[in-house]
Amino acid sequence: MIKRIFHSIFFTAVLVFLAGSALVTWSLYSYFTQIACQELRTETRIVAQGAEAGGADYVRGLDGQNFRITWIDADGTVLFDNDVSADDLTNHLQRPEVQSALQTGYGESRRYSDTMTQEFFYSAKLLTNGTVIRLSLAQNTIASLIYGMLPHFLLLLLVTLLLSGFLAVRLAKKIVDPLNEIDLDNPIANESYDELAPLLERIDQQQERLSKQRADLRHKKRELATVLNRMNEGIAIFNNEGTVLAINRVARSILDADIGCIGKNRIVLTRNMDFQNLVSRAIQGTQGEKVLAFHQRLYQVNASTIRHEDNIHGAAALLFDVTEREKNNRMRREFTANVSHELKTPLHTISGYAELLQNHFVKTEDMPLFAHKIYVETQRMIQLVEDIINLSHLDEGAGSMQWQTVDLAQIARQVKDQLQPEAESAGITLRFTDGDACPIYGVSRLLQEIAYNLGNNAIKYNKPGGSVTISVRRTARKEIELSVTDTGIGIPKGEEERIFERFYRVDKSHSKEVGGTGLGLSIVKHAALLHHARIRVDSKLGVGTKIIVTFPGSTVKNSGTVTQRNV
Amino acid sequence: MREAFDRELEQLKNEVATMGMYCERAIDLVSESLLEANMAKAQDMPELSLEITHKEREIESICLRLLLKQQPVASDLRLVSASLKMVTDLERIGDQSEDVAEIIRVDKFFYTGQDIPLRRMAEAVRKMVSESLDAFAKRDIQLAQSVIKYDDIVDNYFEDVKRLIVEKIKAQDCDGEYLLTLLMVCKYFERIADHASNVARWAEFAVTGVREGE
Repeated sequence: MIKRIFHSIFFTAVLVFLAGSALVTWSLYSYFTQIACQELRTETRIVAQGAEAGGADYVRGLDGQNFRITWIDADGTVLFDNDVSADDLTNHLQRPEVQSALQTGYGESRRYSDTMTQEFFYSAKLLTNGTVIRLSLAQNTIASLIYGMLPHFLLLLLVTLLLSGFLAVRLAKKIVDPLNEIDLDNPIANESYDELAPLLERIDQQQERLSKQRADLRHKKRELATVLNRMNEGIAIFNNEGTVLAINRVARSILDADIGCIGKNRIVLTRNMDFQNLVSRAIQGTQGEKVLAFHQRLYQVNASTIRHEDNIHGAAALLFDVTEREKNNRMRREFTANVSHELKTPLHTISGYAELLQNHFVKTEDMPLFAHKIYVETQRMIQLVEDIINLSHLDEGAGSMQWQTVDLAQIARQVKDQLQPEAESAGITLRFTDGDACPIYGVSRLLQEIAYNLGNNAIKYNKPGGSVTISVRRTARKEIELSVTDTGIGIPKGEEERIFERFYRVDKSHSKEVGGTGLGLSIVKHAALLHHARIRVDSKLGVGTKIIVTFPGSTVKNSGTVTQRNV
Repeated sequence: MREAFDRELEQLKNEVATMGMYCERAIDLVSESLLEANMAKAQDMPELSLEITHKEREIESICLRLLLKQQPVASDLRLVSASLKMVTDLERIGDQSEDVAEIIRVDKFFYTGQDIPLRRMAEAVRKMVSESLDAFAKRDIQLAQSVIKYDDIVDNYFEDVKRLIVEKIKAQDCDGEYLLTLLMVCKYFERIADHASNVARWAEFAVTGVREGE
């Protein structure tokens, strides 16, 4: 813009100067011509007077520096010329100024001279003796006058150029500076050219609209980011070139990526090939899902295509933790397999004995023994089926059970009496540390189940001559603690958690001799969970085990509903 | 200009990571095939190996193009030259995995116990490859150095394997052919670990410009 203004000003100035000079030159030229003609006339009169008085000698004596003086006879013959030799000149009679002088006594003309090959002004006067004196002035005399002024003109031109250049720069700057200084962030606040006011106002409006839109956009983006980051599932969104557009915190921690991965290729996220294949297939339009392992945990990855009006815009991957689900599925499968196995084993035994009896292979005196074996196996099966039913009840939750306030100490005492014969036959001392009444809000049958199973296990997995102590007490923190301590075989380190799994046995090789279903502790665990109780296992292999079930203080008097729990 | 260059460098890094992903997959396929007696996984290897070779060519041509057209200097030059060297090691990793897969396919060789720590060795090698690639991608010198050091552990595993096999041969405890093939497989794993530590060295070079001696 500065350039443009500079050019305009500069060229205008130069043009004006040139036009002015031309005008001046032209007017000077005509003025000079006029002066010269005047002078020529005056000179002619003076020379004529001189010639009248002084005759031929006077005329010849004139040097006539500025003028050419020609003396022409009445018949046109040139008598004298101070410039050219008179003999070389032709007859001048027919020259207009001569004719005019001969007729009126004075004549003037302006024409091209053949003799001197340039334009001349002529002035002629008739003398009294009939001859004519003529003075002429070459036009280039005037031109040379102008020509003489040329250096001045050039100097002036130079000055003009410099001055107009300098001024043009200054002016252009001055015009443009207010434009440059416009604060576009606050267009209204500017005091600039009036002509710009509508434009600035418009800019202001648009700016306002833009900032509002930007705020909206930012708000929406933050909203989305918050929603994404609050999700429990991991989510990552890719465009159709596989660049990461968005990824939430959960997904970042699953894939072990940092926030800088946004805007980069998806390979930066993870080099898990199954994940990459899922995403690339989704980008090509095939949705898919797969369970993948990241950091020792299992995640289900759902990759889906993002479409809009039949065009694929990218893909989104949703990751959620299915470690527990997969574990439960596995456990359920194992449980089913175990149950089938455990049910089949006694059936095989029963069927074998029954077959022998049916085919009369058994001696009469052995019959009671066989009958006893069949009885024991069926009892085992009944126990097993009962336990399974118990467990499935527990799985269904506490909703259908009868909740009431019961005394845990009393339940434990009853269980001790119940277990006494078994303990005696195994040669184990069974003790019960009696305490105050410990009222607890719970399901009496389940509490009894807990105490019974713990006590039963303590007797079964004991050494001959060992002891089992059952105790119930109220702790300092108003919790109620049921503990069963034995001097038995103990539990290997690291397996304390596993004893609560269904069908788990510490000593796998002797399960048959010891009896039991392998479901007892599993029932204890579920029943305890239902009562919001904690179970702690304290065991030393070969020395003994102490299992403590702590019922929280809140359930002691709590009569509200107990939340259902499936484990 | 610089922007286009940066984009190409980014692409180079992505391609190296992709090639690394193929190599990790190759090790997974081979060790799972060995340990789970899964022939199908060994049969997937030739295709993957071919893909690794293609990727190597592709990365080489990217590197050469960058060197010719952009004439990178300083850290950019280190990145390009490290990538150029690194893909050779990665390609060897793919190649050696395919060699093991071939043994599985041809000899129907699977790991059948025998107290040889093959699983632990395979896991250690997998960890090295994975961490060397992480070190390159994240410009993590410490990780690179820990990978280089970890190579000794794999070497020790190999020594253990050798000793155990010698003992078994002495005791005439097991099928000789099985033991020798097992030794070869372990040697391949040990070589893969060497290449992984080379990758880690190049990852370190890309950052520091100093290449440590072997």
